[in-house]
Amino acid sequence: MSEMRYGYVGKIARINLTTSTVEMISTFDYVPEYIGGRLVCNKIFWDNVKPGTGALDPENMLIYMTGATTATGIPTGGRSVFTGISPNSFPEQYVWSGMGGWLGAELKFAGFDGFIIEGKAEKHTYIYIEDGKVELLPADDLWGLMVHPTQKKLEEKHGKDVKSMVIGPAGENLMRNATVTTSNDSVAAKGGFGAVFGSKNLKAITVRGHGVVRPYDIDKLFELRMKMANPTMRPCPVVREATHGMDGNMIPVEGGWLRGQVACSHGCNQHCNRLMMDMKSAFSDERINQVEKCVGIFAYGYQEDCSWSPIQNFETERNHFLPCKMLSMENPPPDFEDPYAPELFKQVRGDIVNFWKPDFDKGSVMMDMCNQYGIDKWDVIVWFMTWLSMCKQEGLLEDMDFGMEVDVENEEFVKYFLDMITYRKGKYGPIFAEGMARAIRTLGKEKFGDSIYHGRYSQMINKPLDLPVSLETAWGHSFHWQGRGFEGSIYKAGWVAHSLELMTSTRDIMTIAHFHDDYENFLKYRDDPYHSRELVDAVIFNENKAELKDSVTTCEWQSPDIYWPDMEAQMYEAATGIPTTQEDLDFASERSRLIFRAILIRNFGRTREMEVNAVFPALTIPDTFGEVATWEEWNDLVDLYYEVKDWDKETGWPTREVYEKYGLKYIADELEALGKLPQ
Amino acid sequence: MEKNDPRTYGKHIVQYPMDYSLCAGCTTCEIVCTLTHDGLVSPSYNRIFVDRGTRSMVHHILSCQHCSDHPCYNACPKKDKAMCIDENNIVYVNEDECVGCGLCQKACVFEPSRINMVKSADKKQRKAKKCDMCRTRPEGPACVQWCPVRCIGLSTDPLPWEVESK
Ligand code: SF4
Repeated sequence: MSEMRYGYVGKIARINLTTSTVEMISTFDYVPEYIGGRLVCNKIFWDNVKPGTGALDPENMLIYMTGATTATGIPTGGRSVFTGISPNSFPEQYVWSGMGGWLGAELKFAGFDGFIIEGKAEKHTYIYIEDGKVELLPADDLWGLMVHPTQKKLEEKHGKDVKSMVIGPAGENLMRNATVTTSNDSVAAKGGFGAVFGSKNLKAITVRGHGVVRPYDIDKLFELRMKMANPTMRPCPVVREATHGMDGNMIPVEGGWLRGQVACSHGCNQHCNRLMMDMKSAFSDERINQVEKCVGIFAYGYQEDCSWSPIQNFETERNHFLPCKMLSMENPPPDFEDPYAPELFKQVRGDIVNFWKPDFDKGSVMMDMCNQYGIDKWDVIVWFMTWLSMCKQEGLLEDMDFGMEVDVENEEFVKYFLDMITYRKGKYGPIFAEGMARAIRTLGKEKFGDSIYHGRYSQMINKPLDLPVSLETAWGHSFHWQGRGFEGSIYKAGWVAHSLELMTSTRDIMTIAHFHDDYENFLKYRDDPYHSRELVDAVIFNENKAELKDSVTTCEWQSPDIYWPDMEAQMYEAATGIPTTQEDLDFASERSRLIFRAILIRNFGRTREMEVNAVFPALTIPDTFGEVATWEEWNDLVDLYYEVKDWDKETGWPTREVYEKYGLKYIADELEALGKLPQ
Repeated sequence: MEKNDPRTYGKHIVQYPMDYSLCAGCTTCEIVCTLTHDGLVSPSYNRIFVDRGTRSMVHHILSCQHCSDHPCYNACPKKDKAMCIDENNIVYVNEDECVGCGLCQKACVFEPSRINMVKSADKKQRKAKKCDMCRTRPEGPACVQWCPVRCIGLSTDPLPWEVESK
């Protein structure tokens, strides 16, 4: 199918670091059937990675793919995706991790839609890709450098116009939540793929391309640029803000601070990343710029959890806006003619948690250390630091000698702790470098995971509520819009939907699958989301859209627009020229989710029992309104979800009929031979 | 132009100060430049350049300043066929005639050169790409029209960070 010349550029490089060989694969072996991005990754992983492979084994494959829209100028197409076995997932499982920046586009200019990395280099290595050529080069002078010096050195070696993705010391030292970082503070973080790079002796991938990407329909492309997320097309100045933070964490900043707005990736029409300029560095007296997104705000102060309004998940045609408008503060004004408007904008205040007082400089230092060492900020801010704070306040750390008094409000301690875990120093460094889920189990989960913190107070029901000292939800990840823990203040229907999405996944799903539904639908399941077909249908809609975001590609902050359901189909068609309907993409994403499910079943032993037991315990912690899920309610919902998906209720395994309906007979055959099809 | 005379510039793309609007680094300007001129996207074709601040996230826009004494035009061995000047004094490339010799690119007084060259093994494909202010486009320069934050516009003043190096 090499005559197809729009959207894709045609090649995927399969790079074996053990044998130092590169095989060129045709993208058209996979597309258009598998669309691109994560859908292609899933297929490659299924075909190539055997059960029993561990995240840090040479046999683990890291698969990186762009989409048909990448480098075309269709907004949000600059996003790209990694998949592979995640060291940060608990237990280790197959996960995905998205990434912005300019590298995906540059890779296409260099002639590749993606690459696969397998094996392990004998020596410290980096990969240099230029215009169809792939070279493995020695990285001795890069190894040991932090993230920004590594990027800088690669620009010195190869020219300022190269684009790189690199790891920092956290990845080198196999810290399980290490990032792979590209430009603009854009990271693939939650998979911990930085540690997979480290395990393969791979420090960086640097790309330069001079080639061409051709979108099919340029008029349509321009129409999409004006319509997607309704760009304001007006000046966006740097402003001096007098305060920082939100809700109970807001503090005045002496002299103010400079806020700008920048785009995360190639060709976007928004600028949702908040640029904090002239900030304190952890490593030098020089001031630095860094990007703040939703979690970063809490590095600065975390006395009160995030507030929430229904509009963030439940929308009407007259009142809906995309998340990209929030950090750039370009939300359209509410339409109060809408009878639901008072409900949609009603604020649910976050719980008072008193983890740490606001400290502008300390927050900046914490962010800088995560950026430079290459550590997932989520794990640091939401999990490590809150755990230290809660354990300290509950007197659980008295027998533990970290070598410095635990005090998350002390900038020096924050630096000391992050240094200790990144470089695996002392007795506790190696324990915490394994990530919180594993560290807690090493230390003793009953005491260090399940002990109750007594400092949580609900502002919605005006009473104290229990919270465990570890904000663990499932799969080695921390809470995220799940009714308790971080970003916990959300109505029950919202956290039930998010928890269901999380259950069938392998990691925090919220970077790609924030739940969106129509407000009138929400009214149908507000009181009882556990027995609602509407809720299950909306979950499936959001799951499928999530799959597409990483495949077309587009972005969590512009998709889905529930009142423009075929937006992704229009994007894909404009890029490739292949007539595409929303139904076509739905079919492709259902199939992709089936392959994902089959990978989990074949390689990682996924069953109903496993996933229900992973997710349910966290739902027994009271939400902001004091509500919990019961075992019966949760299992009723799981029954209903499996029923709609036509999966076996006992095992959670899809039936042969389902696989065959989506053209996956070969998967059904293989699973049957392994005894992993329902009887 | 006499040796010590300051160079003057025609109307060209300028980037506004960040207290008016901060470049988002979205590269839309580069992309729409090649989409409108060439029907594709490629770093070898764009005639406006985002000098990316990979870590600072502060980006500088580089483009042809339309020097009044047009050294690029002067250097072209096929002037008035390949490198031409229109009735509004805009220097532009007629690509059908361009032989891809690169002399105009070398003659540009700015570093990096504001003239891009298509890199191709096929010599016939090698063409100079130079900002022509979208001179035949009724809406004016596409980059200005499509910049989502309106941080670029038109002026005859040089950009503050533009340093003539040659
Ligand atoms: S389009 Fe505007 S904001 Fe985007 S890179 Fe160009 S000048 Fe900067």
